[in-house]
Amino acid sequence: MTPLNAPGADPFYFLGHDGPVARLVKDFPWGTTCLGRVETWPQSLKTATALLIHSPVPMVMLWGEQGVMIYNDAYSVFAGHRHPALLGSNVREGWPEVADFNDNVMKVGLAGQTLAYQDQELTLHRKGYPEQVWMNLDYSPVLDETGRPAGVIAVVIETTERVLAERRNRQEFQRLQSLFAQAPTFMAMVSGPDHRFTLVNPEYNKLIGNRDVIGMPVREALPEVTEQGFFDLLDHVFTTGEAITRTSLRVLLRWRDQGPLEERFVDFVYQPIRDQDGTVAHIFVQGSDVTERVRAENHQRLLINELNHRVKNSLAAVQSIVTQTLRHATDPGQAAQAITARIMALSAAHNVLTQESWDSADLRTLAQAAIRPFQAPDRNTIELEGPDMRVGPYAAISIALALHELGTNAVKYGALSVPGGTVLVRWNVSGQSVFTLEWIETGGPVVTKGDHRGFGSRLILQVLPDQLQGKAELDFRPTGIVFKLTAAVEAISDHAA
Amino acid sequence: MARILIVEDEILIAMLLEDIVTDLGHDPVGPMMRLQTALDAAEREEIDFAILDINLAGQQSFPVADRLMRRGIPFIFASGYGRAGLTEAYSAVPVLQKPYDAAQIARAIPPHSAGQSR
Repeated sequence: MTPLNAPGADPFYFLGHDGPVARLVKDFPWGTTCLGRVETWPQSLKTATALLIHSPVPMVMLWGEQGVMIYNDAYSVFAGHRHPALLGSNVREGWPEVADFNDNVMKVGLAGQTLAYQDQELTLHRKGYPEQVWMNLDYSPVLDETGRPAGVIAVVIETTERVLAERRNRQEFQRLQSLFAQAPTFMAMVSGPDHRFTLVNPEYNKLIGNRDVIGMPVREALPEVTEQGFFDLLDHVFTTGEAITRTSLRVLLRWRDQGPLEERFVDFVYQPIRDQDGTVAHIFVQGSDVTERVRAENHQRLLINELNHRVKNSLAAVQSIVTQTLRHATDPGQAAQAITARIMALSAAHNVLTQESWDSADLRTLAQAAIRPFQAPDRNTIELEGPDMRVGPYAAISIALALHELGTNAVKYGALSVPGGTVLVRWNVSGQSVFTLEWIETGGPVVTKGDHRGFGSRLILQVLPDQLQGKAELDFRPTGIVFKLTAAVEAISDHAA
Repeated sequence: MARILIVEDEILIAMLLEDIVTDLGHDPVGPMMRLQTALDAAEREEIDFAILDINLAGQQSFPVADRLMRRGIPFIFASGYGRAGLTEAYSAVPVLQKPYDAAQIARAIPPHSAGQSR
């Protein structure tokens, strides 16, 4: 009696396994291949076959010069529609689309060498259509009883899913990066407890003056910012996990090494980013450079203050005109007229200055506006003569008021009180930067020195030269009065003389 | 009668302030309309009290204020801005908003201030 599973009863007793592929192996007509009937197989082939049949890892053996294929259940899944026809076929014919690749495998393996491929990309037709797959492939020779390589055994791990997943992740990352790069706001990612820059977008680069900060801790990358409390804010977010938002916060940035600190204003949020176990690993920094907006707001506030200042000053100036005119007035009607005329003169000077944003005034334009009320309608009773030049706002108002007082006097008592009288207003700047303004009356009645020191004479002879740190003279010539003001050009430009 | 330094760059307001000070029976020093002349006066003149416009042709009169403080001379600011733009150092200095009247100036001048600096 021989036991059923004794060598004599079942030639495939050495497989000792009853899986789907094992059954196919047992039924396969091995006599038609170069392996020959199983009874003729060398022990090495049997052992190797049993070994791979039992392995849960996809394995295939390529035996002999032709590479006759014997594989396991796991490999049969990988082989797709090629299985079961693939079993017992020669590898170059079984996988014709990768015949060259396998030709090399056979040559190297049968020469006793090993081969290893990581994520090897191949196009296989295992499902009836071309399919791109990736595999980890490890080949090693199988030795026969004489110690010579008789076949090649391959561990075949398909990595297609992982490779595609990694590729998707990479594409996702690139998509995020391009979003980052095109974002109109600044963005950066800092990682770890020392807040190391791992990502910055072009807007962030612009904000920090295009410094190379990737991989550097904030403390080293932006030392001047660290001193301004931003590092403490990052620490706070990192330790508490609470997001922080700030608006119109001032930050001083050193754009160039040893360069000056640039003032910027920023709106921003520090957003904690947690890893899988929930601890804060990164901080996402996102915000906008709002410097222009903040400056515009400050400028507007300044303008409002400035406007308020001008209004209050104008009220005080009007108060001055009214009180001083009334102080010397004898007739209420005349006083009212004088007050109105002086306020109009002040207003005309303001108009000229307003056109120039109160920066300076063209002297000719200013003088024309001042003398307009005294000009006869039919002829030029007042001539202006002088070079084009500009005067500062304070000097402009004073000169306009002085011309008004001179004009008023000329109409009442001087050259403009009679037909045929004329006035020449002449100005010049000498080589020594001395400014001269003259008011020359001719053709009027003989004027003698008045004895009252009224508003007009006080203004032109005392306060005006005081203000301009110059000199004022009034000359009573037989032909008419001549007023002469001299001052340094700096003084009439409102700069310190 | 006190000697009162007037620092004011606007010609009409300077004239008004000079009148007010004179009418109150005091002796005006100035008006000084530029920072440099005001500084010289604050340094050299015998002054009992001062009225300083804050803005002098684009420059601020704070250096004048500092000199007066060093000399222990009381003063007030007169400004169209009110207190806006005044730093902590001058928080104790009264500010008169333009326009002002003689009564406000009279109240601002400390009683018996005449002759203190002499």
